[in-house]
Amino acid sequence: MEQTLVAEAKEAPGEADLAFDRLYRSSRDDVYAYVAGLLRDATAAEEVTAAAFERAYRKRNRFDPQRGEPRAWLFGIARNAALDELRRRGRESELTAEPADLNDIGADEGAEHSERRLAVSAALERLQPAERELIALKFFAGLNNTEIAQVLGIGESNAGTKLHRAMTKLREACDGPA
Amino acid sequence: MDPRRDEQLIADLQALRPTPRPQFAAELDERAAAGFPRRSRLPRPDLSRFRVLSPKRVLIPAAGFAVIAIAVVTALLASTEGQDSAPRTLFSEQGEQSAPRAHPSPQDLDGFSRDGAATAAPSAASAAGAATEEAESGVMFSEEVPNVESRPSFRHPASFRHRAVERSAQITLAADPKDVDEDASRVFEAVHAHNGIVMRSSTEEGRPGEAGAWFELLIPSTKLDDAMAAFSDIDAVRSRHETTADITAPTVSAAELLKESRARIDSLLAQLEAAETEEAQEAIEGELRHERRHASRLAAQLTHLHKRADYSRVSLQIETGGGSESSGGGAWGIEDALDDAGHVLTVAAAVTLIALAVLGPIALLAFLAWLTHRVWVRRERRRVLS
Repeated sequence: MEQTLVAEAKEAPGEADLAFDRLYRSSRDDVYAYVAGLLRDATAAEEVTAAAFERAYRKRNRFDPQRGEPRAWLFGIARNAALDELRRRGRESELTAEPADLNDIGADEGAEHSERRLAVSAALERLQPAERELIALKFFAGLNNTEIAQVLGIGESNAGTKLHRAMTKLREACDGPA
Repeated sequence: MDPRRDEQLIADLQALRPTPRPQFAAELDERAAAGFPRRSRLPRPDLSRFRVLSPKRVLIPAAGFAVIAIAVVTALLASTEGQDSAPRTLFSEQGEQSAPRAHPSPQDLDGFSRDGAATAAPSAASAAGAATEEAESGVMFSEEVPNVESRPSFRHPASFRHRAVERSAQITLAADPKDVDEDASRVFEAVHAHNGIVMRSSTEEGRPGEAGAWFELLIPSTKLDDAMAAFSDIDAVRSRHETTADITAPTVSAAELLKESRARIDSLLAQLEAAETEEAQEAIEGELRHERRHASRLAAQLTHLHKRADYSRVSLQIETGGGSESSGGGAWGIEDALDDAGHVLTVAAAVTLIALAVLGPIALLAFLAWLTHRVWVRRERRRVLS
C-alpha cells in the first residue's frame, strides 16, 4: 500500500491524497506513541505529532520509494520534529519526564502487575535518550528492525545490536534498585 | 536470559505504550481531512499550489523566465549599442566626413579649386575683387545624402540652369580588398562614359584597411547626377556628400569688368590713332598695354569661372576594412544578417556571463549557508540524544 505513495502522486494528485490518508490512519497512534515515549510530555507530543503529519503532508510529493518505506519516511520526519522540539526547549526528555500515572498503570490488574510496570517505567527513565528512543520505536510504534534502521539512518544489524543492548540495560534497570 | 522474563518485559512495555487523547485524535483527523492547514496565528498566503509543484515543473518556467529576461536585456543592449554601431555597418553615410583624409583634398590640387580665382590671379585687383565678391555674395548649397538607397539621384532646382553654379561631390565606396582593382576599372569606365576627366588617381593593394583607391575627377556638371548614380552602382556606398555654390555674382562681375576693359581698350586705340605727338602716343600705348593685361586676366578669370560651372569636381574613394564591405552592392544581405546574428549572440552570451557572475557567488553563498545550517541542525539533533 505504502509503495504506491509517490507513483500514484505522479499520476493523479487525488490518489496521492488518498495514499497519504491511508498512511496517516495506519500510523497516527504509532507516531504519537513514539513521540510521547521520546518526549515524555503528552502536550508536547500532541503538538509534535500534528507538526510531523503537517510536514509529511507538505513533502508527500518528495518521497522517494527507493530510499525506504513510507512508514520509515514518516517516522524520520516525526523524529526530526521531536528532536527539534527537544532542542528548542533546551532540555532533554528525562528532565521533564512526566511520571507514569499510577492510576492508569495496571489499575484493573493486580498489585504485582502494577508494581512491575511501575518499575519498567522508572527503568525507562534511567535509560539514555537514544536507548529509550530505540525502545519507543520498537515497542511503542511497532516498527521492525529494518524500519528502525531507516529511521535512524544506520544499518539493520547495527539497529538490532543497539536494540538488544537497550533491552539488556532496561532489564538490568528493572532488576536493580528502583 | 530468561525468555519468559523477556516476554513479560515486552508485554509490560506494550502496556506502557502511550495513546493519544480521543479529543486530540479527533482534532487531528479533522485537520487531516482538511489537508493539514497551517495553525499559525498570522494569516499566510496560500502557497500550497506552489508546494505541490515538483522541481521539474518549477525548473521549466524558471528556465523560460531566465531566457526571456536574457532576451529582453540583450535586445535593450543591442538596440542601445546599435544606435552607435548601425551607422557604421548599414547606414554609415556621413561618419567618414570628419575622419582624417588619407589623400590630398581638392584644395590641395591646383588652381581649379574653389579659391582658384584668387590663386590664379593674385595680382589682379579686379579679379581679387571678384573672388572676394564671390565669397561674400556667393550662395553655397550643401547637401548630404544620408540614405543613398532612398536618394538615387540629386536634382537641382530649375532656376539654377540660368545661373552659374559650381557643384562638387564626394563619394566613398566600401569594397572587399579583392574587388578594389575591378571597382577602379569601373570608375574609369564611368568617368569616360560621362565625358569626365581623371585628374589624379591612386590604387593600393593589401589587407583590409590598407587596400583602397582614390580619384580626383572632373565631371561635366550636366552629367554629374548620372555619373554619381553610376559610381553608386559600383559597390556599397559608405558615404556621399554633394555641395553646390552659386558663382553667378563673380561671373557676372568678371564679365562686366571684361566688357569695360575691352571698351577701354577700344577707346585707347581710338585715342592712339588721334594722337599727334610721339610723347602722347607712348603714353597711350603704355596705358593700352596695361589695360590689355588687365583684360587678359579678366578673360582668364571668366574662363575659369565658366569652367568651374561647367565641370564638377568629384572626390571618389574606395575603402576596405571596417566591416562595411557588402557584396550585395549596399543592400542588407546574408553576410550582414550573419554579422548581426553573431553580434546578438555575443551580447546574449555577455549578458548571460554577467548574470552568472553576479548570481553565481550569491547562489554559492546561499548554498554554503544552507549546507552549514543543515549540518549544524543534524549535529544538534544528535547532541540532543547523546
